[in-house]
Formats: sequence, C-alpha cells, structure tokens
Amino acid sequence: MMINQLLLVFIVLVGAPIVGGLLFGIDRKITARMQGRYGPPIVQPFYDFFKLLGKQHIAVSKMQFVWIYGYLVFMIASLIFLVLKSDFLLLVFLLGFAAVSLVLGGFSTKSPYAHFGANRELMQIMAYEPILLLLAIGIYAQNGSFLISEIFKHDKPLLFTLWPLFLAVLYVLTIKMRKSPFDIATSHHGHQEVVKGVTTEYSGPYFALFHLAEWYEIILLLGIIALFWTNPLWVGILIALAAFIIELFIDNIAARLTVSWMVRLSWSVGLILGIANIAYIYFTKGVS
Amino acid sequence: MADSMMAIAILLPVVAGFLILAVRNYFARGAVVILTALILIANSIYFTLKGPFTYTPGGFNWGLLITILDYGILIFYLYIGISLRNWLVLIFALTQIIPLAYFEFVMKAHIEVTPAFVIDNLSIVMTLVISIIGSLICIYAIRYMYDHEHHLHLEKSKQSRFLFWLVLFLGAMNGLVFANNLVWLYFFWEVTTLCCYQLISHDRTELAIKNAARALWMNATGGTAFILAIIYLYATQGGANALSMQTIIGGGLQGTLVLLPVALMCYTGCTKAAQMPFQSWLLGAMVAPTPVSALLHSSTMVKAGVYLVVRLAPAFAGTYLSIAIAMVGAFTFFGTSALAISQTTGKRVLAYSTIANLGLIIACAGINTPLSIAAAIMLIIFHAISKGLLFLCAGTIEHQIWSREIEDMEGLAVKAPLTTLITAVGILSMFLPPFGMLLGKWIALEAAYIVPLAAVFFVLASTLTIVFWTKWLGRLLQVLPKLGWPIERLSPSYAVPLWTLLIGIFVIGIGIGPIYQNFLLAATNNVISGNQIISLGLNNLVLTTPSFLQREILGVFPVWPLYLILIVALLLPFLMIGLKPTELRPVYMCGEQAGGGAPDTDEWFAEADTVTKCQLGGYYYQNIFGEKRVCPWANAIAILLLVIMIGGVIVL
Repeated sequence: MMINQLLLVFIVLVGAPIVGGLLFGIDRKITARMQGRYGPPIVQPFYDFFKLLGKQHIAVSKMQFVWIYGYLVFMIASLIFLVLKSDFLLLVFLLGFAAVSLVLGGFSTKSPYAHFGANRELMQIMAYEPILLLLAIGIYAQNGSFLISEIFKHDKPLLFTLWPLFLAVLYVLTIKMRKSPFDIATSHHGHQEVVKGVTTEYSGPYFALFHLAEWYEIILLLGIIALFWTNPLWVGILIALAAFIIELFIDNIAARLTVSWMVRLSWSVGLILGIANIAYIYFTKGVS
Repeated sequence: MADSMMAIAILLPVVAGFLILAVRNYFARGAVVILTALILIANSIYFTLKGPFTYTPGGFNWGLLITILDYGILIFYLYIGISLRNWLVLIFALTQIIPLAYFEFVMKAHIEVTPAFVIDNLSIVMTLVISIIGSLICIYAIRYMYDHEHHLHLEKSKQSRFLFWLVLFLGAMNGLVFANNLVWLYFFWEVTTLCCYQLISHDRTELAIKNAARALWMNATGGTAFILAIIYLYATQGGANALSMQTIIGGGLQGTLVLLPVALMCYTGCTKAAQMPFQSWLLGAMVAPTPVSALLHSSTMVKAGVYLVVRLAPAFAGTYLSIAIAMVGAFTFFGTSALAISQTTGKRVLAYSTIANLGLIIACAGINTPLSIAAAIMLIIFHAISKGLLFLCAGTIEHQIWSREIEDMEGLAVKAPLTTLITAVGILSMFLPPFGMLLGKWIALEAAYIVPLAAVFFVLASTLTIVFWTKWLGRLLQVLPKLGWPIERLSPSYAVPLWTLLIGIFVIGIGIGPIYQNFLLAATNNVISGNQIISLGLNNLVLTTPSFLQREILGVFPVWPLYLILIVALLLPFLMIGLKPTELRPVYMCGEQAGGGAPDTDEWFAEADTVTKCQLGGYYYQNIFGEKRVCPWANAIAILLLVIMIGGVIVL
C-alpha cells in the first residue's frame, strides 16, 4: 500500500511535467492553426525549457528565488495531495500558497511591470479562490466528506449534481491557464502583454522553474476537473481534455477583459452558480 | 495550595501594579515587571499540571469588597462622562449603576454562589494564553515605553502608570476566566473595561481621549446588558443559584424565555470582541502605544468577549440563538476582512484582521458542534500568538521608521532584515498552510456546512484575507538589486518576546496533534462533549464524525508532512542558489534605466531625458472596500443581525 503510493507519487512527479509540457505544445500548435500559422513542433516547450536552463544565471534580487521555489514546491505538493486522494479543501489552500508565492515573487523587486503583474495575479486569486472553496463545500455536501478518496467510492458522478459548480470551475480554468479573456497577470501571447507581467524579472533557469510549475499546474487543474466523473475515470479525463480544448477556442475568440470585470463576473455569476448549487443540495439532501 | 495559586493569578498583578507605581527607577521597575511576568507564567503552568478544581475564597467578605469596587468603577465612569461632557458615557454609566443599585438595595439580592470560581480546562487554556503572552507583552512594554517617551520628549515620565494598568489587566483577565459567580464575572469584566479606557487614553491627546471614551461607552452597553441578564436570572430563576455559570451551561435554567439572559450575555461578548457594528472602538484603540494594542488584541480584552460566547455555547446549543450567533460572527468575519483591504495603516489592517478572526471564533461557537468548538479554542490560541507577535513587530517597525503607514514600510527588508523576517513569518502564519491559523480555519470550514450561509461567508472572507496580507507583505519585501543587508540590533526587551512568540508559532503549530489530544480535547469537552472528533495519527490530524457508530472521515490535515514541505521550499533556494554580485542586473525599465549600468538604481530617463525616480505604491481599492463605501450598509446589516438575535429569542 505504502510502496504503491510512493511509486504512484514518483510516476506523477516525473510524468506530470512531460504530459503538461506536451499539452502546452498542443496548445501552441492548435492556437497557431486557428490563427492561420503553421506553429512550432509539439515538443517545442521542452526545447524552450532546456534552452532556458542553459542560460546565464542573472537575477534582480535574492528573495525572488525563495518565492519561485515556493511556487513550484507548493504546486507539486497540491498535485501530490490530488494523487494521494487526500483532503480537497487543504488542496485548495495549498494551491493558494503557490499562487501567493508567485505574487510575492513579483512584489519582491522594484520593477513596475512585475508589480503590475503581481497586483493583477492577486486579483485573479480573489476571483477564483472562493469558487474553488465552494467546490470543496459542494463536494462535502454531496459526499459528506472532504476527502477525494470518498469521491471515488461513489458511483454517481459529481457532474450530475454539481454541474453549476462545474461551469464555475471552467471559469477558474480560464483564469488559471492564463487564457483570454483572463490572461491578465501574464499571457502566453506576446501581442497582448504588458511586457511579461508577474514573471518579468525572472530569466534563464529561474524562468524555467516557472514553466515547470505551470506544467504541474495544468495537470493539477485538469485532474480537479476529472474529479467530476470518477467512475470510470477515463470519462473524467476525457471531460478534462475537452475542457482544455474548449479553453483554446475561448482564448482565440476572446479579447482580454479588465481586472475589475474578471472579479465582478466571478463574484456575481460564479458565486451565484456555486451558492445556488450548494443551497439546492442542502435543501434536498439536508445535512448529511 | 489553591489559595496561593488563585492569589498569584488574580491578586499578584494588583500588588505588583502598585509596586510598579511606587518604583521610579527604570531598571528596578523593569525588574519588578519581569519578575511578575515570570511568576505568572510559572503559576499558569502549575495550573495546567494541577488540572481542574473549584475554589471559594474565605476568611474575608470578598463579596462586599467587590460590590464596593463595582460602585467605585461605575462612579468613575460617571465622572469621566461629566468631565468630558460625553453624554453617551454618562448615559451608559447610569444604565449600569441604577440597575445595580436596584438589584442590591431594592431586590436585596444575596449573591453568594458556591463555588465562586470554577477552574476547568477551558479556563486553564485561557489563563495560559493570558499569563504567557500577556506577560511577554508587558516585558516588551518596558523598553517600548522608554523609547516612546524619549521620542515624544516628555518631561514627566508616565511609564509607571502605563505599566500599572498593563499588569493589572492580566489579573482582571485571570479573574474573569475563572469566575463562576456572574456578579464577580461582571466585576472583572468592568475592571478590564476600565483598564482598557486608561490604556487607550494614556497619551492624553485629544484623539486618544475621544477614542478611549468611545471604547468606554460601547463596552458599557455590553455591561448594561450583562447586569440586566443578572437581574433577569435572579428574578425569574429563583435567586442566587441561577447566578452560577455552571448552572446556566449545565441546563439548570427552567421556564420561559431562558434564552433571553444568554442572548444578552452573548451581546455583551460581542461588544467586547468588537464585532460589527462595534468595530470602531477597537479601531480607535490603535492610537494607543503599541503594547496596548498587542495586549488588547492577543491575550486580553477581546479574548474575554469570545471566551464568554464560547463558554455559553452549551446554553444555546441546538437553538435559534445558536444560528443567529453564527451569522453575527460570520458576517463580521466577512465585512471586516473586506474593510482590511482598504486600510493604509499597518495597525489598522491588524485591527480589522483581529475583528475578523474573532468573528470566525464567535461563528464557530454558534455553529456549536464539537468540531467547531475545537476550532474555536485552537483559533483563540493560534490567534493570540500570531497577533501578539504581529503587533510587537508593528511596534518594533514603528520605532525604526517612526511611522505606521504601510507605504512607509516599503523595502523594509533592506533597512531591518531581521524585523522583516519575523514580521513575514507572522503574516504568513495568519493565512497560509501549514500554520495554525489556517489549520483552525480549515477545521472551521469543515464544520461550517451545518450553517451553509456562514460557510459561504467563511469562503469569501478567507479569500479576502489572502488579499490584504499578501498586499502588505509585498510592500515590505520590495528591494533593489543589491546584496548584503546589514542586520539590525534589537534591544533584549524587544528581542526576547519576539523570538519567544516566533518559536511559539512553530512549536504549537507542529505539536498541535499531541497538544490537542492531551489537553485541548478536555477543554473542548468542557464546552461540548464529543470525544474522538479529532483523532491523531502520528503526524496527521483526522477529523471524524461518530455517525451510525461507524466513524466517517471528514478530512485529513497532515501536519508534519506540510511543515516538511515548507522546510523544503525554504531550503531549496539556499542550497541551489548562491548569487554573486556580478550576477545582479537592474530591473527592466524598457531600456530607459539611468544610473550608468549599476544594478541598484531606481532612476530612469523620463521625457527629455530628465532623470526621474521610479516610485511604486500599493493598491488599496478605496472605491470598493473603503470605510465610507462599506461601513454604512455593513453596520446596518450587523445591527439588524443583532436585533434579530435578541429579538428572535423573545418572539420565538
């Protein structure tokens, strides 16, 4: 049991960045095709990654490193929580620590662009954090437990009862994947970027760390979406991949919104979806 | 033995206080404070070892003494009201003194209650918090007040007077958490209000006196509710027996409207815990020297408010009142967290955050399951340590830069790396895993689903919490590309309390499993019995419910692995990276950097190549979360909730 779990964690730690990197490669390919370009090869993110690793070590402050490592380590930690099917609420808090680390990394320089990005990243946290926490409460309302392992024990998929929260989580996915209309703190597309947002002051190997964390993050997010259909799990994974493809379409048809619109939308539409969902379960099922 | 323990806990601070008043020498006075602090700490640990007991003092008519002192305090309030021409103070002094006189002279009440003091595990938790953290703050105050007066260039030192009230506060708080006799509890309650007034008004500036008077009248409304509750209990429940806290929480009340006095006392708790709409008195208290704020926010005063509500929890369990209290607390948690975002002064952010966390604790008492009560008690402890530390940090920062504004703390990491490090840990410990406050919040959220609306407020508030702490911490950390920051020296009177509290955060946080199992579980059971709700693996906290005899697991919090992750995250950068001066680069400014290629410059070429200093500032979102925007409707809702809380008890 213990050995199996350790093995699983090891496989995920090694495998997640490979799959995550490939997903980003697919992202770039599909986006390019939608824009009428040929696009880079699918393994381009790995070329970029290793090139960044080989670059000169330069930095603007020592404190940056503490936070970029915090971002990476806590992202990995929350992914491990998902893999070990641990407490979902705690997973959300750990993901929050990762995001806060990135913000503080931006703040710990005297760079106007990094500050822009950090302030916007903070507003992004404000926009999506309540939805993820409400999802945790929704899962509790449905299963009577915050444990992810309990989700796997139920035959009926969460999607049937928690579909409003599912819609809200898709919204979170757009924010977390840094896709338009919410690619506000930093974007993958050069043409709508305030320099490089929160990551402006990271370069070379330290910027590679940021990419690595992003690869883990995409796997974590798709994993959370897969939780909506765990029996059988492949349906959930297909749903997650479909969500990923939908995000690419949204990215290419939408323009960037302002920060205040993002927060306003999530605190109105997103929260109403979540609260209505939980209220419905509460009044039909009662306190379990 | 019990005699001397109780005497040390309650009377020693009084005696020491008068000794401090008499001693005029800085070092001798400091020695008295430190000695008192050490005795109080040792005594509180002895309480822990001895365990619960009951105690009634004999040999002297203590009841008469307390009655006389009661009138003394209230007449002093009258005097304040008249001399300041503050009608609110005067009115609420009269609303206390008239019912009290009616109670004692017209009703000719006998107020002997045995036992007079009940020391159970919850009281012991409280006395540990009061004696240890409160004492550390008193030690800090020795040097702080010296620097404070030095900075203000005062001719006549008032340090003795300040330390007198500070030390007296600890005695009153100890009495408050031990008292079983409601009349005595009321007396200690009033002593804390009096100490609070004296400490806030200490600097005698116009603003200080005004804010102190506000604190006084707001708390006096609470005192009025308390005395009305006492009279109601005495009149309807047949005499002095009903004036025992143990009777009230033991289900000993009979007849109609038994919830009314409980609701009134909860209202009293809410005033002292500065719940909305009473938050303004605690905000006003920020004008006082920082040790006062540290004391009020961490171990005394506001903790008395939440203590009373938590203590009363069994009396309203399963009733309408319970849900109403959960809503009052949860709404305060949400409202004040939003207000904290707009604050530009460090101490005011801390104040709003305190009120928010007290709201969370009160909401936990209202949710009233074994799980939420455990969360409430843990939050009291963790909050006391973290907030005590943060206020002491705020004071230390203030004495380094002589400002309380967050914008003035920009780049403090260079000027005072050590203070910044301690402050950063303090801030992180308020809202991030694996630290204790988040652990408490986590348990609270897991317990909150019973009152779903409260759970929604928890969710929103904990998100807002992330925003204001991160914003502030970000301002401290902003640095220019430069290596080698000289570490500042702190006076031992500052350093000892700071380091002790910092270590406390980690020791209590990492050891929370065993501490809960061996100690806090008993305290939780004093309030609500629900054994085995939090069970302990070697390193995990596991929450379970005993439903259908088969325990269901609600959630798991792996304490040690999380601290391990934190250590990894901190160690990696130090192991992997050694930054050389040649590797430093200036930040990106579109190539318009001035300063001739030196990395540590923040100047750039603006229009027509004028060299301009780059200035950055924080966002405070005044137009969304500003006090003017939020307070009117938030206070209205809070007043409505309080009216529903008390009115509902009468109507339903």
